[in-house]
Amino acid sequence: MKYSIIVLFLLINSNCLISAEEQPTADQQEMYQSIIQEVRCLVCQNQSIAESNADLAKDLRAQILEQVIAGKTKYEIKNYLLNRYGDFVLYQPVFSQKTLLLWISPIILLILIVGWYRKISN
Amino acid sequence: MKRYLPIILFLVLFISLLKSLFQDEMDIPSPLIGKNMPNFSLTRLGENTTVTDQDILGEVALINVWATWCVGCKEEHQLLLSLAEEPSINLPIIGINWKDQDQLAIQWLDELGNPYQEILSDPIGNTAIDFGVYGAPESFLIDRDGIIRYKHIGPLTLPIWTNEIKPLIEELKQ
Repeated sequence: MKYSIIVLFLLINSNCLISAEEQPTADQQEMYQSIIQEVRCLVCQNQSIAESNADLAKDLRAQILEQVIAGKTKYEIKNYLLNRYGDFVLYQPVFSQKTLLLWISPIILLILIVGWYRKISN
Repeated sequence: MKRYLPIILFLVLFISLLKSLFQDEMDIPSPLIGKNMPNFSLTRLGENTTVTDQDILGEVALINVWATWCVGCKEEHQLLLSLAEEPSINLPIIGINWKDQDQLAIQWLDELGNPYQEILSDPIGNTAIDFGVYGAPESFLIDRDGIIRYKHIGPLTLPIWTNEIKPLIEELKQ
């Protein structure tokens, strides 16, 4: 038991050594975390790729981390995903012609309600 | 009219929500339709030679992403074989073996038959990501210039072939 713990400890440490050259900086780590929480895991759909253990989620996380370390901006990385997987891959829909109604409908609704309220209070 | 407005609003909302309830959520439109297929350079399954996207240009072709661990791939395999064996169809099928082991893939094809003209090995899955693949099997129809014209997620079936893919191929070959 004692030995196995030591072996385990050594294994964990050797793992750290191998990946040491590709460690992201603190800023990059933060950016990486914020991106993967915004990306939908398409296989499991109700999880972000930060939460999912699906193979594809792991691949996408690795791909995103690689790009973060390579110095890509958040915008570039999101575009990379959008170009491959479409709008659905991001939890927050992009503002485009297709999603225009989605974004402005709360404002329209608010105007309607205010108008209606003013009318009945008169 | 004014009295019915809430009812109309309710019905509009109710129907649109009801509709999305029955929508197939796996059926996500691909942004790659109408665009060039991604660049890739992959090794042939079980060989040391390389195939790039440039090598498969010039013909209308079906790119099929598959793996031995994928249940749906076995389901569609018979259909792929019959498409490959029928000379009048004349459709090269390019397989991308996704996140698989070469040895298992070769064995699988030995047992079940090989419908593929070329099989490319993508063990890490980077090319699959470039194709926007999220679950095998997925199939892409590309035209002579390498533009993706159609994508199907999940196993191909005879109705999908006859109703969707075959007419499109005829159109593209004109």
